[in-house]
Amino acid sequence: MSVSVLEALQPFKKPVLLGLVGLLGFLVGDWANGRFNSDSAPVQPIEFSHRIHASENQIPCQYCHVYAARTPSAGVPSVSKCMGCHQSIATESPEIQKLHGYWEARQPIPWIKVHDVPDFVYFTHKRHIKADLECEQCHGPVETMDRITRVESLRMPWCIDCHTENQVEHGRDCWTCHK
Amino acid sequence: MANISRRDFLKFIGAGGIGAGAGYIYAESVKKTVEFLVPQVIPPEDWSPGVATWYNSLCGQCPAGCGISVRIREGRAKKIEGNPVHPVNQGRLCALGQSGLNALYNPDRIRTPLRLTGARGSGEYEPIDWDEAMTSLGGRLGSMKIQGAADRIHLLTGTVRGHLDLLLARFMEQLGAPTYLQYDYTHPHSLYAANRMVFGVDRLPYYDIRNSDLLLSFGADYLGMWISPVHHSLSYGHLRQGRPGHRGTCVQIEPRMSLSGASADRWIPAPPGTEGLLALAIAEALVDGGGYDGADRADWSAALRPFKASKLAPTIGVDAAVVAELTDAIRRAEHPLAIGGGPAAEGSHGTAAMTAVNVLNHLAGSLGRRGGVLFGADPVVADDWRVRQASYARMMEHAQIMGRGDVDVLLLHGTNPVFNLPQASGYTAALDKVGTIVALSSFMDDTTAMADLILPTNVYLESWGDDVPEPGVGLPLATLSQPVVTRIHDSRSAGDIVLGLAHQIGGELPAELPWTTMEEYIRHSWRQIYSVEAGGTDAGFDEFWKDALRSGVWARNRAEMEAAPTVSPAVLAQAGSAASEFDGAENDYPFVLQPMMTQGFVDGRGANLPWQQELPDPLTSVVFSTWVELNPTTAAELDLEEGDVVEVSSSAGTLAAPVFIYQAIRPDVVAIPIGQGHTRFGRFAEGRGTNPLDLVATVTDESSGALATAATRVTIRKTGERLSLIKTDGVSRDLGRQILGPAKEHA
Repeated sequence: MSVSVLEALQPFKKPVLLGLVGLLGFLVGDWANGRFNSDSAPVQPIEFSHRIHASENQIPCQYCHVYAARTPSAGVPSVSKCMGCHQSIATESPEIQKLHGYWEARQPIPWIKVHDVPDFVYFTHKRHIKADLECEQCHGPVETMDRITRVESLRMPWCIDCHTENQVEHGRDCWTCHK
Repeated sequence: MANISRRDFLKFIGAGGIGAGAGYIYAESVKKTVEFLVPQVIPPEDWSPGVATWYNSLCGQCPAGCGISVRIREGRAKKIEGNPVHPVNQGRLCALGQSGLNALYNPDRIRTPLRLTGARGSGEYEPIDWDEAMTSLGGRLGSMKIQGAADRIHLLTGTVRGHLDLLLARFMEQLGAPTYLQYDYTHPHSLYAANRMVFGVDRLPYYDIRNSDLLLSFGADYLGMWISPVHHSLSYGHLRQGRPGHRGTCVQIEPRMSLSGASADRWIPAPPGTEGLLALAIAEALVDGGGYDGADRADWSAALRPFKASKLAPTIGVDAAVVAELTDAIRRAEHPLAIGGGPAAEGSHGTAAMTAVNVLNHLAGSLGRRGGVLFGADPVVADDWRVRQASYARMMEHAQIMGRGDVDVLLLHGTNPVFNLPQASGYTAALDKVGTIVALSSFMDDTTAMADLILPTNVYLESWGDDVPEPGVGLPLATLSQPVVTRIHDSRSAGDIVLGLAHQIGGELPAELPWTTMEEYIRHSWRQIYSVEAGGTDAGFDEFWKDALRSGVWARNRAEMEAAPTVSPAVLAQAGSAASEFDGAENDYPFVLQPMMTQGFVDGRGANLPWQQELPDPLTSVVFSTWVELNPTTAAELDLEEGDVVEVSSSAGTLAAPVFIYQAIRPDVVAIPIGQGHTRFGRFAEGRGTNPLDLVATVTDESSGALATAATRVTIRKTGERLSLIKTDGVSRDLGRQILGPAKEHA
């Protein structure tokens, strides 16, 4: 008489299968969230297109992000900076109309942050630009994006990989970034 | 497997659906919260995001007058440090100064002008706009001036020095209102009175602790809250370690060991109120032993004869041998210095006690000498403010005038007499008789809550101003105060309010106070300082002004010191007995109460700052509350342990607070910190602890008019309740670790 393990497991077959289907569903749900509702490309208050500005019109990054080369933060352009051009350019576009609305109300535009590191990380744009990094190395092909999307993880292993590869002086010291 | 039943099919659909939903929600829940990247509408030109700018200005947290450097990022104040080039604090700053940010960002700040709608003290106010507030107040003051009733307008402020003081004085003068008083609990009236009596000077001399090699402190907690603690701490460091191979000695004479006592080489707990006698006993021994060789030696000898240590020993509780040791130390020291303050100055004969200290300095040859008491350093700004400092006696005269209903409008700014004067004084009741109380205040404190009209003022970090610290560092010195941030509420500085009122009232006032803003006025005034220094011309003022704004302080490099004043033995007779008398019979009230100022709260003004609330007291480590300090022997006699709530009663009042057992306090003294127990002062101060000043009886020192806050006797009763003290220390015992030397049995 043969003893089958499969036979003994027979009563558990259905719950295990149910569990597997549930898990599969979980993964699908998680993927769907990332695919259709990701925070790497949030919907901004104005549908600003980097493609139009940086690619079609060839505006250099630091023309708008003026502080990048000299301060820790690159600086999102002021509303007055936007109006400097859009006083007369593309004034009919509904998105530019939104900009005019903010300007007339003297309100800042509440852009949603896409690229962010935690508060305990000391990150400075200045050093990275001094080291001749291209903006695209961290921010991806921004000039092709209609809606800004995070392409790199901005997590510590990613930082360290780059610091190691480029043999950054003190690039692996804790205190370089956590001070 | 092909034949799945309908039932199972639905189960799989359900499992998959629930799984997918859970997966979606999970992914949503681990997302970072949305952060915004908010741009400027129009960017200011003088800053870049992420880059700090430091502005130098003036600390306004206590009257010491330290310079501060404030770190500003994106237009917000982030951190306050000491100004490294300021001669008073030389880059250092105390905890209270650092907490200035708590004042700036305090959620309880008054944000708009308020008008009382309910009964006085009810706290029912309606917000009004500035135009309405200024028009109604200006109109009222103006019509009183026209009717010749301006003498019924009174002004009461805290310590205000520099040009704001002169502006207020000018405003009141032009209004025809002669009463402008300053009330500040920390102002050492008896020390001033004694200096006037002995030296004939109004200005506080500079006590050169830094260069002294023997410091005898009669009750002055110079590292704690005496005059200019940060400067004294620096001096103390130099006295101890600044001269290689030469370590200065410190002796502290006080009934309860203060921070200075804990840092001294020798702590002498003389009975409360006898510190002056001890100073005289030392003086006697000094003259008697040939330590003084002035021409008037015989006169001094005769005048000091009653204070022979052997005769006084039972009264002053200090052996003649100890007096001889101290005398010997003075004779051997090159730069002995005696200072007086704290409980020694707060007795019923505080002025006489301070006179005794001054006499001791004279006989020890410490006057007008390096490492001693230095005179001179003429002020660069007129310093009439001292005349306006109201002692307790003067405040009581003022209370009488108010009580008679002779004050129609009382303008208040930066002072809290309802909290700082004892209940027994009846000041609050008198205040209630005033027609209209107008408070220029940043916070709803105990006194502001009595106001009919409240005009919100900027805190010092948002204000223009200047200050001449007293005694400063013995050099002509002025500190500039500039707004380090734009004001964050709809408030105005006191100076701007007064200038606005002057224009509102009209008549000759706008011509006499022609400035439209405090900034313009300060700049104009500094132009005058500059032209005096530059020999009558203001050429080059713009450069000077830029430099002053950058450094936050202006000082002359050197100053001619005045010669030491001559001191005659007659001052001893003039000052009278130096022994304190107490309110309450010793049988009924066996303990002497010592209300003490703390570094955290000063006289209570710091209680609404959360950082100060959570700052452990340096000697007891207690936070957030009021405690009653008792000697272990006393506690054992009364069967009390730490945390037992006791009722402390004097002839004037009663309070209840938990006991803290403190080894370094005399068994016949009870010390309670001042600062807590506010009825109104915002969410961080209200309903916390009790105010020991409500126990203080109305004994005054006649020579100075100061309230003798250390001259009340109290009794203690155990209530049976317990309230654990919140403190950061574990136990004060060494638990066999022998960290204080060989183990001894503790009481």
